[in-house]
Amino acid sequence: QAIDDDCNQTGQLLAAMLDWPQGTFASRVELEDGAVRVQREVDGGLETLRLRLPAVLTADLRLNEPRYATLPNIMKAKKKPLEVIPAADLGVSGGSPRLKVLQVQEPPPRAGGEKVENVEALVEKLRQSGRI
Amino acid sequence: AMAWRVAPRAAARLLLGRRGIASCIDPSTGLTEDQKEFQKVALDFAAKEMAPYMAEWDEKEIFPVETMRKAAQLGFGGIYVKPDVGGSGLSRLDTSIIFEALSTGCTSTTAYMSIHNMCVWMIDTFGNEEQRCRFCPSLCSMEKFASYCLTEPGSGSDAASLLTSAQRKGDTYVLNGSKAFISGGGDTDVYVVMCRTGGPGPKGISCLVLEKGMPGLSFGKKEKKVGWNSQPTRAVIFEDCVVPVGNRLGAEGQGFNIAMQGLNGGRINIASCSLGAAHASVLLAQEHLTVRKQFGEPLANNQYLQFRLAEMATRLVAARLMVRNAARALQDGREDAAVLCSMAKLFATDECFGICNQALQMHGGYGYLKDYAVQQFVRDIRVHQILEGTNEVMRMIVARNLLQG
Repeated sequence: QAIDDDCNQTGQLLAAMLDWPQGTFASRVELEDGAVRVQREVDGGLETLRLRLPAVLTADLRLNEPRYATLPNIMKAKKKPLEVIPAADLGVSGGSPRLKVLQVQEPPPRAGGEKVENVEALVEKLRQSGRI
Repeated sequence: AMAWRVAPRAAARLLLGRRGIASCIDPSTGLTEDQKEFQKVALDFAAKEMAPYMAEWDEKEIFPVETMRKAAQLGFGGIYVKPDVGGSGLSRLDTSIIFEALSTGCTSTTAYMSIHNMCVWMIDTFGNEEQRCRFCPSLCSMEKFASYCLTEPGSGSDAASLLTSAQRKGDTYVLNGSKAFISGGGDTDVYVVMCRTGGPGPKGISCLVLEKGMPGLSFGKKEKKVGWNSQPTRAVIFEDCVVPVGNRLGAEGQGFNIAMQGLNGGRINIASCSLGAAHASVLLAQEHLTVRKQFGEPLANNQYLQFRLAEMATRLVAARLMVRNAARALQDGREDAAVLCSMAKLFATDECFGICNQALQMHGGYGYLKDYAVQQFVRDIRVHQILEGTNEVMRMIVARNLLQG
């Protein structure tokens, strides 16, 4: 999920364009011969996929602990070259974004809830509203 | 019990500050981009690697060797030591910022790290090439740890009257005497010892580097202290301890000068540790005032407490500015650096103890319980008003500058 638009699509788009398998939200990655075993956390527990390589993986917070930057590296970072490459030089056409934001709105405010007398009434209400 | 009542990541947010909240005491204001990066690493490290353990280290008197080695891997073992022997080559101001940040995680451990750093700097600065190469790399990585040995049972504030003698015998010195209150003593590997090679007074003092295992070097019992419990404190005893002449830093008679120059930086570092403890305590007090309710409202609605918190914040910023100003003077080699370091140490350690103590008071009865971190900050920084030159000696130094020039 990109920190600007939170779209959660870059890895998935890449996999589709390359026609490679994808393993997203990886919380655990194990390399095997010519394949990779990717695990992610889902509501019901853990989901594990075995993907043939090459594959596209996206990482979740739970995958690892990022290293601390060391003081010498922080100082060296200043001196590293920052090369600016125009998109055209890489043979990428159309620099303008293909996504247009039409509207941004808040979700509707929460409506009040309703108290019921007993369990039977609760079950009846849930049935009526199509929840069960 | 967890020292910090909040989890490490939340502690980091608390320390780094939510946007707008407590921005008046934000320690990153006025810093360069690089300095903000150093501070961020140090605050992260403090929140994740130190804060969750500070209570346990205090209670069980654990010297957290592995944690300090992790810190050394990031460059915290020889912060202002030259890079050619493994140091990070940073300035005194960078160092102050780093120790202030680390101190929010565990003041006692950070204070020991600052003493270690001071010793490595002394060898780096006054040692010859052979000594620098022999000692500094393993100290910068904290493969080995160091202790600073000046104080004796009979000479504290009157440091120049020290009695430990070092008699020249061929190409060795033979040491006899003892040092008191040595931080790390008995657990550390390298001892920077000020001893008497010549006549009385400061000019008869030289600086020798000793190593654990040298025959004639032994240690007293581990002292039981009110705070600073994550570092052992012992007497260091010399009984016909033979030390090669090649272990002397600088010239004979230069030892006192080396010791005092080390202390200038040491004073800034100790003051910086006090700043970190005070900052953490202000945030703890602020959180408590918002959460605790009495007489039907949060304590934070009480004007007396609002005013007290404001005073604490104001004094913290004043102290921080004093310390950073002194750090700049020292790194720029200004003539007034030593006296500014003394003023900063005096002011910051006194003010910050007051701040931590006030924060404890604001916690009410809870402040007195070891489940809450604030009491440990109070206990840990109390000694900062005493060591590396008592605050009384700091006044002597400032008065001398004012009256004798």
